[in-house]
Amino acid sequence: MASKPTYNIPIGPIHPALKEPILFTFDIQGEVIKGVDFAPGKTHRGIEWMGMRRNPVQIAHLCDRICGICGVSHTLAFSRAIEQIAEIEVPERAHYVRSIIAEFERIQSHLLWAGVAAHELGFDTLFHLAWRVREEAMDVIEYLTGNRVNYGIVQVGGVRRDFTDDQFPRIYQALETYEGLVGKLVTLFLEDTTIKLRCMNCGVLSERDALELCTVGPTARASGLAIDVRADAPYAAYGDIDVKPILPDVYADAIKGDVYDRIVVRLFEVVDSVRIIRDLMDQMPTGPVLWETKYAKILATCKKAEGEAIGRVEAPRGECFHYVRMNRSETPEAWKVKASTYSNQMSWLKILMGEQIADIPIIVASIDPCMSCTDRVSVIRDGRQGVMTGDDLHHLSVEKTRRMQE
Amino acid sequence: MIGMITAAVVGCIGITVYGLLFGLVLQGVDRKCAARMQARYGPPLHQPFIDIAKLLCKDNIIPKNAVTSVFNAAPVIALAASITILLYLPIGSIAPVLGGWGDIILVLYLLTVPGLAMVAGGLASGSPYATVGSQREMVTMIAYELPLAIAIIAIAWRLNAAGVVDPFSLATIAQTPVWSVVGIPGIIGMLLLMVAMAWVTPAELSRVPCDTPEAETELCGGILVEYSGKNLALFTLSGAVKTVAMATLAVVLFLPWNLTWFVPLTGAAGIIADLVFFVVKVLLVVFFSVSLIRVGMARFRINHLVTFYWGYITLIGFAGLLLLVLDAVLGMGVVA
Amino acid sequence: MSRLPMFPEALRQFLKKPATNLFPARYLPKSITGFLGKVAAGEATINPPVAVPKNFRGKIAYDRDACIGCKLCIRVCPAHAIEFIPETKTVRIFVTQCIFCSQCNDACPVSCLHMSDEFMVADADRYSENLIVE
Repeated sequence: MASKPTYNIPIGPIHPALKEPILFTFDIQGEVIKGVDFAPGKTHRGIEWMGMRRNPVQIAHLCDRICGICGVSHTLAFSRAIEQIAEIEVPERAHYVRSIIAEFERIQSHLLWAGVAAHELGFDTLFHLAWRVREEAMDVIEYLTGNRVNYGIVQVGGVRRDFTDDQFPRIYQALETYEGLVGKLVTLFLEDTTIKLRCMNCGVLSERDALELCTVGPTARASGLAIDVRADAPYAAYGDIDVKPILPDVYADAIKGDVYDRIVVRLFEVVDSVRIIRDLMDQMPTGPVLWETKYAKILATCKKAEGEAIGRVEAPRGECFHYVRMNRSETPEAWKVKASTYSNQMSWLKILMGEQIADIPIIVASIDPCMSCTDRVSVIRDGRQGVMTGDDLHHLSVEKTRRMQE
Repeated sequence: MIGMITAAVVGCIGITVYGLLFGLVLQGVDRKCAARMQARYGPPLHQPFIDIAKLLCKDNIIPKNAVTSVFNAAPVIALAASITILLYLPIGSIAPVLGGWGDIILVLYLLTVPGLAMVAGGLASGSPYATVGSQREMVTMIAYELPLAIAIIAIAWRLNAAGVVDPFSLATIAQTPVWSVVGIPGIIGMLLLMVAMAWVTPAELSRVPCDTPEAETELCGGILVEYSGKNLALFTLSGAVKTVAMATLAVVLFLPWNLTWFVPLTGAAGIIADLVFFVVKVLLVVFFSVSLIRVGMARFRINHLVTFYWGYITLIGFAGLLLLVLDAVLGMGVVA
Repeated sequence: MSRLPMFPEALRQFLKKPATNLFPARYLPKSITGFLGKVAAGEATINPPVAVPKNFRGKIAYDRDACIGCKLCIRVCPAHAIEFIPETKTVRIFVTQCIFCSQCNDACPVSCLHMSDEFMVADADRYSENLIVE
């Protein structure tokens, strides 16, 4: 029997299913996906280039803006790298403030994702509900940091704002709100027949594939990989409390690695974050929150610093990785940002294959992609966007080595 | 003869105006209700009118590789067919304008025409999204037609068994509520058919969970993706009129009572009372069968849709049909 | 067993008050700028926005007389939004460029910079009087 003809469907760079620009090209047979390719680099903003022209104190705020949702993860990773290079000791209380804000960020990010996922399934009521519930976390963040999205609270050497005693009741109120909402959210998301119908056994990523494709964060955990930077390499205050990676078996019987499992992991991480914030608040030490309040001194210390370091943080989407090299100058000599989507995006090729057109939006969204965090490079030649292959990159490296030898 | 033709022409114009206006109001009500269920205020009730006015003053854009004639004809056919359905449906106690020239089987066929016009328009627009959408629309139509037909045939058959003359005429169905001729098994059967009909309505109107042919997040609007301006306005109006038609059909089949049957009102007062009662019934149908269903579920995948309608809804329909037959055979209720 | 938990939830919500904050008006006015003009003239009332918390970081406020012209704010400003005016030894802040991080507030040795709670600063002109603080 001759194989049925396939046809081509482009999804992107701009498409209602995608929240950020990226181009997918699908080979479709009937409704079934027979081939997938994708081209990122549609929303490159030159963040690293900007960073290399600024001092670390300035970059901290630039980091806030790498991602529109993870306002603290990137800054935290960057600050940790700088603090290692400049040998700055962060006060104990600052670690707790950082962790609490990071957990609130996880709550709002996961709820935002849950809403987006519901919208991708055509379930707009759930989308509105999830985003309405998310407001509580946003309000607390705004209350504590002064802004809803770009928190601007983390700085090299600590945090810029301390929690005052009169702010604690508001935080507890938010935690209680979420504790009361858990049952409702779990019912609405995980027991709904239509959601089960659409998400179970859809976009399956096996544990082995998850490992081989180096996935991180909830995407990896949904496939059964117990990895979580908070538990594996504790930073900030996570070493003082009990953090365990959340796997889908907290709710389901078996780990399948499908879209449903990814919903389970994220929802139960929200539950876990509430618990973590409570633990952190209970044992919060007193003391200063910034290593040095005189900015001239922070700048001078950073300027004297020499060396390289990496900062790793468990962002809501997975591991966020910053590499910084300082060489006795105002600005970093090198700064490399690897967002979690960079690690997760290759799993798309695997999980989209053989699924239906109808599942493209939810599967693409299921790894919680953040393209503008990920896009570090965009190749434009003669006004046209091109693709660099492995050979091209090798060739460029060889050329550069030759130039440096001369 | 001339009098009849004049009456028909005036009636047609009247029904067209009524269908368009009431359809848009129904859409406004639907949007408002759905918004309230999603904890939003929603747009003002006249928002659909604003949308149509906006679309009407925009340009028609015709894609380069579209089949222009079919592409432009499809929306007109869809709207014309939707309005034609209304001509055969009674409104409150007002008899259908063309009641003498067609019956419920014709309505059944006419209901498919807007869908087919959309399929033709989608295929003619030369976009892969629209093509996929058209294929899905065809599959959807095949899926929901069977339960719809079962519901209609079952009711007409039961009326026939009760000795009612001309059971396929909508005027007859509206005059003789089936509920009054059936016994207990028949009532259960009718309830089942009502469930089937409630689920067929969103599919017929391409609303969530059955909006797979348009699927905003998958196909960016599917069938309608290339349509803009006046053509899109015509399709939107056709959808609005179809909402009226489907709701009216459901009212005629399942909730045919008029207020004047119970309250002694005559003349204009009676007609107005019946109309108000009819509007209330239509609003109820739209609320439960369009708004509530569309806010309460996720979109089906096309294979789920077929399983759902061919499997569950058809089974429910058949069960209803069997109960109605049983009702007649056992001689419960009215049998001729 | 099939379950559709959203149906009861949606019906319950139908009877409750919606959550939307109707800012700035119940329905979209014909012209937003026209509406805001009317509000300014006292002919229409505006639905207030959600209140901002204490310590909110809004449009920057600058106390020129207290400024000593140390330029530290310029060194820490991530957005290069602050310009030094050599003649008066003061600074000029471009609000369109400002990212509201308030880093300059922290760095200022004489506390002459503050964040107000004003956030409705949208304007069609980048260099309108409202958007340059000096």
